[in-house]
Amino acid sequence: MNRFISRLRTVGALVVYFTRRERMFLAPLLLVLLLASLLLLLTGGLGYVAPFVYSLF
Amino acid sequence: MAAVLGISAYYHDAAAALVVDGRVVAAMQEERFSRIKNDAALPIRAARACLRVAGLGAGDLDAIVYYENPFAKLERVLTWLLRNFPRSYGQFPRAIAEQLGSKLWVLDGIAEGVGAPRAKVRPSDHHECHAASAFFTSPFEKAAVLTVDGVGECATTTIWKGEGSALTALGHIDFPHSLGLLYGALTAYLGFEVNEGEYKVMGLAAFGAPRFRDEFAKLLTLRDDGSFELGLPYFAYDTGSNVGFSAKMERLLGPRRPVGRAWDLDSDASDRRFADIAATLQAVTEDALLALAREARRRTGAEALCLAGGVALNAVANARLLREAGFARVSVHPAAGDAGGALGAAILGSIALGDPRPSALTSAALGEEIDVAAADSLARALGLDPVRISDPAATAAEHLLRGEIVAVCQGRFEWGPRALGQRSLLALPGDPKVRERLNRVIKRREPFRPFAPAVPADRAAEWFEEAPSDLTAFMTTVCPVRPSARARLGAVTHVDGSARVQTVTGSSAPFLDGVLAAVGKGADLPVVLNTSLNGPGEPIVAAATDALGFFVGYPVDAMLVGDLLLVRDRKRESES
Repeated sequence: MNRFISRLRTVGALVVYFTRRERMFLAPLLLVLLLASLLLLLTGGLGYVAPFVYSLF
Repeated sequence: MAAVLGISAYYHDAAAALVVDGRVVAAMQEERFSRIKNDAALPIRAARACLRVAGLGAGDLDAIVYYENPFAKLERVLTWLLRNFPRSYGQFPRAIAEQLGSKLWVLDGIAEGVGAPRAKVRPSDHHECHAASAFFTSPFEKAAVLTVDGVGECATTTIWKGEGSALTALGHIDFPHSLGLLYGALTAYLGFEVNEGEYKVMGLAAFGAPRFRDEFAKLLTLRDDGSFELGLPYFAYDTGSNVGFSAKMERLLGPRRPVGRAWDLDSDASDRRFADIAATLQAVTEDALLALAREARRRTGAEALCLAGGVALNAVANARLLREAGFARVSVHPAAGDAGGALGAAILGSIALGDPRPSALTSAALGEEIDVAAADSLARALGLDPVRISDPAATAAEHLLRGEIVAVCQGRFEWGPRALGQRSLLALPGDPKVRERLNRVIKRREPFRPFAPAVPADRAAEWFEEAPSDLTAFMTTVCPVRPSARARLGAVTHVDGSARVQTVTGSSAPFLDGVLAAVGKGADLPVVLNTSLNGPGEPIVAAATDALGFFVGYPVDAMLVGDLLLVRDRKRESES
């Protein structure tokens, strides 16, 4: 339960940050990425993501 | 009066640092505990070790500060993906994996890992943390502060004015224009591992001539005000490429060097060409840093410069900054890379809670103490016949004067990538054969890589020009070896006549100071070769188990763990 509340707090902080920065137009992309990441997590697909020469992300 | 933990993680070199009542109590990299070189995982073991050193629990912490803002990072990633769509399509899976898999939730992960309330964990700014690590641990009341690395949230380069307990932002250059990424891409082009091979490129540069200036003018445009731009078509930050450079760069500079091929700078023309490319990269990087430093001086009017960020680990460039940028003094944080951001974060948190800035850092021994009793029992269990001695420094000197290679583990391990006498391999500095033995048998690394000398600060000027300085205490610069001394310092003099000098005092590294005094009495030259106590691809030794593992695995002649002496019994080894 604490973990869930902690994650909610992070989502809230993210929304506040994007709102303040007037970046809510990124919300649809973020949503798509979140859903895609959920899909990848469920299918174990993250293991196939290649390493990068420098951690840009 | 506050206890603040700083954390850096998830990119490279994760670390934790603890500041209590305005005093830097401990700072450690996770790699020393996980034994994974440059480990980027959440540094929970390092954080717990910091708390152990201070005798505190997670509940005693007033704040935990993460060294960057994950939301700002996500914003940059998303806008970058959008701006470069559809070319960036291939990067979507990676962005998902890295950002949404773990990095977005880093503050939650820290709270859960450390065992502190989530409300106490807050983010900071990547480059402000670098600037804080550099300025607030420096001896300066006022200074220009320059941070240069690959990329933080968005900035890659920042200029600050530091005054008392305040940092004021004066300017920044944003991603994708980055000296760190330029150096990283060329490091990969030259066949080295990024975030690890940059030192090798710097060492290799001394073997070449900067004859590719025209080509590099296409890669990097420098302006008079210190700002710069990368020639983006030569890089591959907007596609799914696994290297940081594009095919266009290979058309410009020639095919990349295959990873892992042995170097032959004497007879292989292509390797000499790669050395020339390294030399040009180094020269161009120095020019860019010099222009930035001059701009920082113009904007602040300060007499001192503080540097941090991964690019500040370029010791050759730092030497040029001290000589040519117009500052009277230059200081570089010993852990200038991402690890140092943890200490900067802790200091910023501490100052925000009303504590004074820390006093100047005089020693990098901020890790955990070596457990001599544990080493003793482990050595006995392994049948290594350890002996307790009364004067470890004098004993180390005796072995060194016999031409032996001696491993030492004394006190708390070092903060940052340099071994400064707490976890070091020592040898006499005169014989190039010692360098060969160290390079080929123990360190197993490229033959062109130099070793560093350690010398008492008050006698450094006898053998090295431009020493001592604020940079030499933490081995963050190179100094010309005086021509008259080069014959006696053959194992620590690089091909260009320079050496990455460490100046030692009784307070910075007391054991090494004692060794130098004893060696000076025996050889009339109080200088030793000092290199890190680790094997190839390994983090530097931290605990007693790592030390004993090193002694068993590598052919050093003797090891001193506190007052415990282990001597290699070659006769017995050959019989068995």
